[in-house]
Amino acid sequence: MVRSKSITGAMKIKLIRTGGFIPITKAAEAEVEITARELAGLLEIIQHDPAASRIKDGNYYELTAGSSSTPVDIEKVPDEYKAIFSKLKSELKIVK
Amino acid sequence: MLTKLMESGNKKIADLAINSNFRSFRFRNDRIFFQQSSLHEKTILGLIAKQTGKETMQMEVYDCKQKTDFTTAALLWDTKTNQKLTSVAGKNVIKGGKASWDFYWQLFGRNSVDNKGLLLKQYVHFDKGMDNAYWDGRRMVYGDGDGSVFTSFTSDIDVIGHELTHGVTENEANLDYENQSGAMNESFSDIFGIMIKQRYNNQDVKKSNWLIGEKVMIGPKYALRSMKAPGTAYINHPELGDDPQPATMDKYQNLPDTSSGDWGGVHINSGIPNFAFYVAAFNMGGYAWEKAGRIWYAVLTDNNLAQNAKFADVKNLTIVHAEKQFGNNSPEVKAVKQGWSEAKV
Repeated sequence: MVRSKSITGAMKIKLIRTGGFIPITKAAEAEVEITARELAGLLEIIQHDPAASRIKDGNYYELTAGSSSTPVDIEKVPDEYKAIFSKLKSELKIVK
Repeated sequence: MLTKLMESGNKKIADLAINSNFRSFRFRNDRIFFQQSSLHEKTILGLIAKQTGKETMQMEVYDCKQKTDFTTAALLWDTKTNQKLTSVAGKNVIKGGKASWDFYWQLFGRNSVDNKGLLLKQYVHFDKGMDNAYWDGRRMVYGDGDGSVFTSFTSDIDVIGHELTHGVTENEANLDYENQSGAMNESFSDIFGIMIKQRYNNQDVKKSNWLIGEKVMIGPKYALRSMKAPGTAYINHPELGDDPQPATMDKYQNLPDTSSGDWGGVHINSGIPNFAFYVAAFNMGGYAWEKAGRIWYAVLTDNNLAQNAKFADVKNLTIVHAEKQFGNNSPEVKAVKQGWSEAKV
């Protein structure tokens, strides 16, 4: 399960936010204790196709783990992972 | 059958048949004409009455309380009860929403974003420190800003007008949100957003600084966009660097059609048609909404504006509508041509 504390063997994940009234990329990283299987299960729940909605001036998120990156809808994040995503969102910094 | 009757030896029957055929021909052609007429043309012809006087705007303002769930947002204000407000963001969106609604109603007889009196729903204090505003197809949503680069996205009327105009565009040409058509979608929002602000502040083309979101962005030297000089809204910003907007077509940026590529640079390349509008409006003089605004509105509501329209298509339509409204070789037509020419489209 995911814990907010970094431990040996933890996986590094990165939340990237794009889009907006002026297009800005923001990112935040965290090390979380999550197995590849748990991550796959999480991504299955939260992945989405941003091109399908194209909200005018909307923001979009993607989650990077290792070399793979997946567009995600963070509103669909299950309760058990909400604290992690909430922390990541609060730590988003502009990518210069 | 009708043809046979028209050729009838009985004059009375033949006359009736010819009359009937003529009426049928006129009806068919009238129907085709009116089907092909734009909203603007219908308004000019009096087919849609230009509403005056009676207030019909319907608006609701909700407080998201820094959460992202619309279902838990609290109603702050609505037109029916007109509650007293303390929320600055709430007051801002009421002011901006009303200025936008009035603009479309009083100038074009347009009743709300869908021209059918759609209830305007505005949500403030969305998410924690969200540095953005957007239109999601049903509502306008505003964040409070991160407090360091951006303040509340409700701070500028042009931003509110911009979002509301996305709703208008969606109900009219519904321009595809990618590449040139997407940049036009953004440009229409900036163009009407700035005119809504100019009209609210009673600014003519010379008095206006043509900046979008100058209060939203923290710092006196910064704004979100400049229509007068795209690419100069912020320079050497400690966090954002330089404004990436081009002003001319030779600087058009080919970006990927992805969210990280800004859907092909819709907020970047919009600088080009924005600049064309600025030059056209400035050369016409007076208030931008009186002439240039009418031309661009006629284009936005023209059935000939395709969903995937490119800058050149919009250029051609603005010339057509300038000629229709002001006559061939009029100063207004020249101003429109000059605008696109300076933008190198």
